[in-house]
Amino acid sequence: MKDIAPSDPRGAANECPALHGRALPTDGTQLRLSPTLAAWRDEAAATPLQYADGHVGWIVTRNELAKEILLDPRFTRETTRLPMPGDPHADIDADAQESIRVGGPLDNDGDVHARLRRAIAPRFSLKAARSYRAKIAEIVQAQIGSIAKHVGPVDLTSAYAAPISAQVHCLVMGVPDRLSAAYSPIFVGESTLQRKFDFAREALALKQQEPGDDVLSDLVRSDLSPHEQEGLALVVLSAGRDSVAHLISTSVVALLLHREQWDWLGANPDRMPAAVEEFVRVGSLFVTLFSRTAKEDLTIGSLEVQTGQSVSVAVAAANRDERQFDNPEQFDVTRDAFGHLGFGHGIHACVGQQVARTVIAEAVWALMERWPGLRLVDAEQLRPLPFAHPVATHATGQVLVEWEQ
Amino acid sequence: MSLSILVNTSACVGAGQCALVAGEVFEQDDDGIVVLLEESPGGSQESSVRRAASLCPARAIELRG
Ligand code: HEM
Ligand code: SF4
Repeated sequence: MKDIAPSDPRGAANECPALHGRALPTDGTQLRLSPTLAAWRDEAAATPLQYADGHVGWIVTRNELAKEILLDPRFTRETTRLPMPGDPHADIDADAQESIRVGGPLDNDGDVHARLRRAIAPRFSLKAARSYRAKIAEIVQAQIGSIAKHVGPVDLTSAYAAPISAQVHCLVMGVPDRLSAAYSPIFVGESTLQRKFDFAREALALKQQEPGDDVLSDLVRSDLSPHEQEGLALVVLSAGRDSVAHLISTSVVALLLHREQWDWLGANPDRMPAAVEEFVRVGSLFVTLFSRTAKEDLTIGSLEVQTGQSVSVAVAAANRDERQFDNPEQFDVTRDAFGHLGFGHGIHACVGQQVARTVIAEAVWALMERWPGLRLVDAEQLRPLPFAHPVATHATGQVLVEWEQ
Repeated sequence: MSLSILVNTSACVGAGQCALVAGEVFEQDDDGIVVLLEESPGGSQESSVRRAASLCPARAIELRG
């Protein structure tokens, strides 16, 4: 078996790239890998991919090569060559544009990245995540109380997962009480980037007056410039909240489709942490991660990448690579699922992952405890949905569940 | 014969995988950065230490022996 798919992008780029790079397939769902991606992975570790700006780069579908790439400093996140249609940067004020440029950990490498990352890391350590647990459990129980009042099927995504994830986000970031009611409309609902910036600024100003033990207060106490603080505040207020909600909904779908595992986990709550790892392996929101760009001509494994070419890691495929996991298509909460790329890998590996694990475990467990007989009525995500974001993420969709009244 | 461990605190990105899978050997300080609790842990910890090293997203844990 060759390690690189047949068509050669170097010649292709000069001729007619459309003939040589393949388009990202949309025939998968979060719980069922695109058959096209699976076929590419059988063929090779990497496949030429047509990018939106017309150039041909690569998509990596095998786990081992994916990790090598994410660890390799010859790739950068700095020069994102792809415009992000979801981010209308032109519509925001000049300071906000500068803040986006200097304050995004995922858009910087090296020392700049390390400085930004270290400003927020303290509140996301394993210890910190555990210290939020009691408050997270309270938030979850309040939401259980709220959906318990429903009669008939309930959409877990909008009535349970999203509100829990938004409230935990406010808790960890330290969104001031007087702004918390405005948080969801601006960050979860339809809004503009400018409104998000205005919110971030107001939150930082309030924290300046009344600092606490939270991420936003750490930012105002740090030696970061005002632009860096503001950019980073925007990132932490936005990042990961959808992913947490997505995983809560998607894990419940997976478990209810495998009733015996729902029952087993309900009887073995101590196995929840391992189960969460399996949720993140199979339920990943990310079809691909944000693309990386080669800073030089390079060879990695048997893949040759040219300066300026983009490379995308297909998390969905790498998380089901038979070279890494036995029987990878099988959802199995008893397996050792570590080694998945659901939280990324390398210096940009998710900073919020320990908090995310805690919330997902609490939220899924509370449902099992309260309604052991919970039934899945329907879930939009069982059929392919349009990707939710230009970086190719699965939409969560409605997840309708019901229980005996 | 016992395993010796080196951690590179400047490479660490504070993701906490090491503390999650080998909490008797690795911890994170108040800044989220790795702290080594045992430089040469006993044999019973070898497999979890190897796991931590392979799961560390920043390759900040080096094993000798
Ligand atoms: C289940 C929930 C979550 C999932 C699946 C997830 C996934 C990811 C992934 C895959 C990456 C790497 C992206 C890449 O390399 O292209 C990432 C990075 C990041 N995540 Fe999360 N995330 C989650 C929750 C959170 C939470 C709760 C936060 C809190 C703010 C967060 C903040 C971040 C940040 C700031 C980065 C960029 C880190 C860097 O560049 O150093 N995430 N996340
Ligand atoms: S797993 Fe690696 S990056 Fe994460 S805290 Fe431990 S040493 Fe640091």
